[in-house]
Amino acid sequence: MNRLLNKTLLYYTFFSAVILLISAPVFYGMLQKLYTDDVDEAIMLRKKEFLTNNIATLTGNDIPTWNKFNRDIRILPDTITSQPKDTIIQETFLDVLAPEWEPYRVLYTNVEIQGNSYVLMIQLNLVESEDLIKAIVWIYLGVLVGLLIVIFFLTRFISNRLWKPFYTTLQLIDQFNLEKLVTPRFDEVNTYEFQKLNQGLNKLISESLRSFSAQKVFTQNAAHELQTPLAVLQSKLDLLMQDESLTSSQAAVVQSLYDSTSRLSRINKNLLLLAKIENNQFADTEKVNISELINEVLPYFTEQADGKKLSITTSLQTAINLLSNKGLTEILINNFILNAIRHNVEGGRIIIISAPDRLVIQNTGIEHPLDTAMLYSRFGKNATDTRNNGLGLAIAKEICDRYNWQITYQYDGLHNFSILF
Amino acid sequence: MKILIIEDEKELATNIAAYLKAENYRCEFAETFRSAIEKVSVYEYDCILLDLMLPDGDGLKILEALKKENKQDGIIIISTKQAIEDKIAGLKSGADDYLTKPFHLSELSARIYSVIRRKQFNNANHLQINEIDIDLLEKLVTVNGQKVQLTKKEYDLLIFLTGNKKRVISKAALAEHLSGDMADMLDNYDFVYAHIKNLKKKLADAGSADYIKTVYGMGYKWDA
Repeated sequence: MNRLLNKTLLYYTFFSAVILLISAPVFYGMLQKLYTDDVDEAIMLRKKEFLTNNIATLTGNDIPTWNKFNRDIRILPDTITSQPKDTIIQETFLDVLAPEWEPYRVLYTNVEIQGNSYVLMIQLNLVESEDLIKAIVWIYLGVLVGLLIVIFFLTRFISNRLWKPFYTTLQLIDQFNLEKLVTPRFDEVNTYEFQKLNQGLNKLISESLRSFSAQKVFTQNAAHELQTPLAVLQSKLDLLMQDESLTSSQAAVVQSLYDSTSRLSRINKNLLLLAKIENNQFADTEKVNISELINEVLPYFTEQADGKKLSITTSLQTAINLLSNKGLTEILINNFILNAIRHNVEGGRIIIISAPDRLVIQNTGIEHPLDTAMLYSRFGKNATDTRNNGLGLAIAKEICDRYNWQITYQYDGLHNFSILF
Repeated sequence: MKILIIEDEKELATNIAAYLKAENYRCEFAETFRSAIEKVSVYEYDCILLDLMLPDGDGLKILEALKKENKQDGIIIISTKQAIEDKIAGLKSGADDYLTKPFHLSELSARIYSVIRRKQFNNANHLQINEIDIDLLEKLVTVNGQKVQLTKKEYDLLIFLTGNKKRVISKAALAEHLSGDMADMLDNYDFVYAHIKNLKKKLADAGSADYIKTVYGMGYKWDA
C-alpha cells in the first residue's frame, strides 16, 4: 500500500515532467514568433526609409553600385516574378563565408526608379536570434527544473509536517482495543480538519465503549434475571412430572420441555460465566498445575466418555505451573474436554498432551476440518449438532485471551486444539 | 416436619411446597425480609430455605440473626448468585447447604432430607426402608441383614432416590446429582440408566423388592 505522501509526490513528479515537456517547445515557439515579428518590423522600417530617403535620388546607373554596397537591401530587375510581392517570407540562402544554409526574412516589393520598374528585396538574417532563443530556452528549462526539484523536497517536508498529527491519530486507533475499555488520548492539534477528525473519533470511541459496556451489563443482568423464571419453570415441570394421571404422550411432552429447560439454563449459566470473565471477576491468580488439574477433572468425564465408548489417553508432564485463576483454568480444560467428547464419534479417541509450553487436545470427530472463522464466536455452532449451545469455545477463547494464551486449531485426521502458554 | 420457605418469588415457593408435601413436610412462607425475621424469631423450623436477595433486605442478615439466637434450624440457601465466593460466604455464615437457581426440586428435596436427618437424628444414623437398612455413617447398605456391595455412585443414587420417595425424579436431576458441577454442561444422561440398572440388580440379588420404577421416559421413582 502506497503512503499518502508518496502518492502526492508521484503525482507531482508526473505532472512536472508533463509541464516541462509541453512548456519547452511552446516557450521556444513563442520566443521565435516574437523575434520574427521584430525582424519583420525592421524590414518594413527599412522599406519605408528607402522609399522616403533613397528612391528619389537614385538613378538607373546607381543601381549596380547600390547593390554592390548593400547586402541586405538590393534592387533587382523586375524579371523576378516567382516570389510573392509585398509580404515578408522566410527563405534560406547559402552563406558563402561560412558555407551553410541560413534562414532569412525577405520582402520583395515593386519600385519605380526613373520610370523603370524594379524589384526591391530587403532581407534580414535570423541566425544570431536562433542562437539567442536556444540559449534563453535552456536557461528557462534550467530554472524550471531547479524550481521543481526544490518544490519537490519542500512538498515532502511540508507534507510530513502537516500530516504528522494524522499519523499519530492513525497509530492510536491502531492500538485501540475495545475490550480493554481504554479511550485513546489524542494530542491537541491546531489543524481544523485533524481536530475535527480527532473529535469525531473520540465521539465514536466513547460511544462504542459505552454501548460495549452497556451490552456487557445487559447480558449479565438478562442472564441473572432469567434465573428466577427458569427456576419457576423447572420446578413446575418437576411438579408436573409427579402427576400420576399423565399419559405417555403427555409425559413425552413434559420430557421434551424438561430437556429444553435444562438447555436454557445451561446457556444462561454460560452467558453469566462469560459476563463474569469479561467483568474481571476472576482476578485473583495462583500457581496452577495443569497436569494435576487435568487428572482432577478427568474422572467427571469418564461416564460421558464411556457412554460413547471413547478412549481417553493422556501424556502429561508434571510440574507445569501456570499463573492463572484456578477456577477459570478448570473451566477452560473442562470446556475443551467436553468439546472433544461432544463432537466425537462412537468408539472414538481423545488424546490429551501437556508440555511446558502447551496443552494439546486431539479428538476424532467429523472427517473434515472445522470452519475456523466461526469456531470461537458466540453461538457460532456446528450445524450438525443443535444441542450444543455454542458457548464452550467462546468461553475458552475468552479465558485464553485473558492470560494471553493462544488457541490454535489444526486438522490432520484428528481435530487438534492447542493452547500455547 | 416444619419448613420455612423464605422466597420472594411466590410461584417458586408454592412449587417447592407442593413438591415437599409428599414427604409430609408442612411449609410456611415468608416473602419479605421483615416477615422472615418475625417468623424465625418466634417459631422453630426443621429446615429453612433462604433466598439471599429479598426485596427489603439481605438474606445473610437472617442467617446472622439465627446464629445469634443460637437456633438449630437447618438452613439451605437458594440463590441466583452462583459465584464460589457467595457460596463460601453463605456457608461460613452458618448455612448447611447452598443451592443455585435454577435447581431440580428433587435435588432440593434430597438436600432438605439430608439436612434434617443430620439435625434431628444425631444418634440414629440408620435409615430403614422395609427390608433395606442404610448405615449413613459407614455408608453401608444391607438387605435383610445381608450386605450389598455398592459403588459410590450407586450409593449416592440410592440416597437420592430415598430422599425423594414416591416422586418422579428426572434423569437430568439424577445426572447432575451424580456428576456434580460438570454434568449440567452435558446433555447425555445415558449413564444414569446404567447406574440404575446396576443398583436395581444388586438390590434384587440381595432379596429386596423392586422399588425403583421407571416412569415413561421421564425419570425414576422410589416406590416404597
